[in-house]
Amino acid sequence: MDTSVIDLLVELIQTTSVIVVFAYLVSRSKFFLGILDKQFSFKNQIVLILLFGALSIFGTYGGIKLPSGAIANIRDLGPMVAGLAAGPLTGLGAGLIGGVHRYLLGGFVCVPCALSTILAGLLGGFIHMLRKREFATIWQATLFAALMECLHMGLTLLLARPFSEAVSVVKQVIVPMVIANSLGMAVFAFVVRNLIHERNTAAEKELYRRALERTEYEMETARGIQQSFLPESPPKIAGFELGALNKPARQVGGDFYDFIPISEGKMGIVIADVSGKGVPAALFMALSRAIVRANVHETITTSEAIEKANHLIAEEAKFGMFVTLFYAVLDSKRRLLQYVNAGHNPPLMLKHLASDLILLNANGIALGALDDIRLEQKEVGLVADDIVVLYTDGIIEAVNDKGEQFGMDRLEKIISNNTNLPAQQLADQINDEVQRFAQGQQQFDDLTLIVLKVTGADTSAEK
Amino acid sequence: MDMLESALEDISIVSLRGRLDTSCAGDLEKKLDSLINSAQVRMVVNLKEVEYISSSGLRVFLAELKKVRKQGGDIKLACLKPEIRQVFDIAGFTQLFNIFDTMELAMAHYKEIR
Repeated sequence: MDTSVIDLLVELIQTTSVIVVFAYLVSRSKFFLGILDKQFSFKNQIVLILLFGALSIFGTYGGIKLPSGAIANIRDLGPMVAGLAAGPLTGLGAGLIGGVHRYLLGGFVCVPCALSTILAGLLGGFIHMLRKREFATIWQATLFAALMECLHMGLTLLLARPFSEAVSVVKQVIVPMVIANSLGMAVFAFVVRNLIHERNTAAEKELYRRALERTEYEMETARGIQQSFLPESPPKIAGFELGALNKPARQVGGDFYDFIPISEGKMGIVIADVSGKGVPAALFMALSRAIVRANVHETITTSEAIEKANHLIAEEAKFGMFVTLFYAVLDSKRRLLQYVNAGHNPPLMLKHLASDLILLNANGIALGALDDIRLEQKEVGLVADDIVVLYTDGIIEAVNDKGEQFGMDRLEKIISNNTNLPAQQLADQINDEVQRFAQGQQQFDDLTLIVLKVTGADTSAEK
Repeated sequence: MDMLESALEDISIVSLRGRLDTSCAGDLEKKLDSLINSAQVRMVVNLKEVEYISSSGLRVFLAELKKVRKQGGDIKLACLKPEIRQVFDIAGFTQLFNIFDTMELAMAHYKEIR
């Protein structure tokens, strides 16, 4: 290759570098972004026509004058990109600016050069339409630029006279012009395709973020609704103290507890754990709670109430859903706890006098597992300083960093060591110790506690 | 949790290993569902190497038990560790499931009721 061709190449590549900067800046303008968003407004198109028309003119001056007087240039690039980006009209507009300008400069190749520039814009626009108004891929755009420059050379040979001079000009410029225009187009297409990709990714991320935000908001609302299903505070019963707490592992959970006034001096106490986690458990929890509430009545026995509730829950228990439930009726006058256990962890009772821990077991099965069940009904007498702790498996199955479970022994120890604490403080103390034990470990289960303490020596004395 | 499936005559044997909690309850449900869908409703589940079962795990067994019993099948459970058996016990599910100390006893139970 002789030095003149190398010089030409170097200069054309320098010009192309200017184009790269132009491509970067223009592609970030709101007009170009508007076009990418398929807003082919009059304003956006006019601005693109002017910008790429100006680029076309720059392509002419930025070109290199050959000894013959012809200019090896990248004038076609601007209209080609305008066409690829926004369609035939915009391509034609930019092409006309660059083409007419070139025509006015004169010279024996002015007609084919002007025509080629106008054609470049139009053809780019047709590709845009063929691609269903999308910017071409990098390879398509680059191939188009190379073929366009060959067409440009063909037109020069066809239209420029004298023919022999046209041949000599084409010989000199064909290689640098095909290379420089293809290179310029490749860089432009690369910038634009990257931009499209970035914007798609950003748009997807935004959609995902919004969906996540909405879910988060809905879950927070659900959490609020679910918490409103739980008693605001335990009822005050003369001669007794009640404390309770509930900590769902996720925003919503399947544990619940309830205090249901049955009649003068009788209070229903419920603690329950629905199978599974999260939203399915929460929905089943709401259903179970309502059914239990509706069936607890002073005219039927404790076991009958829950057996009837089971029948209704079992009808709704699809997918094997079930709920373990411990239900007790506290008779504050007779100082008696009458209870049934439907497959729930048996509550712990610390008899003060015997300083003995007993489990409130009774034969039963989780609600929802069978249509008809029989629950054993039991009774236990209460005396001053007796403590009953009702809990869900989130307490005893809390896991520490060694994979050990909190277990019954630790729970029993906390109760035995804190008999002097008021009921709510004892519940909080148990929760604190579970949290400390499981520190740093993700807990998977909801955690629910009710503490019942017998305070007064005699209820009649309280009146 | 790992699952291994085999068969002896017309009895499907599913062996489980690890922790059966919420995160893998769905996999077990799919596995047992696929057996039921291919009319294999006589199952024995070997729980020998299961260390933990959550209520989600119990839920899957209950759901599948209801399905197979409707089709005249059963899910028999075998080789439960004491702590696993206790979970079934507390929930009252030992009344629901046929539970056996060994695989042989579980398999033999199918022969008896034939």
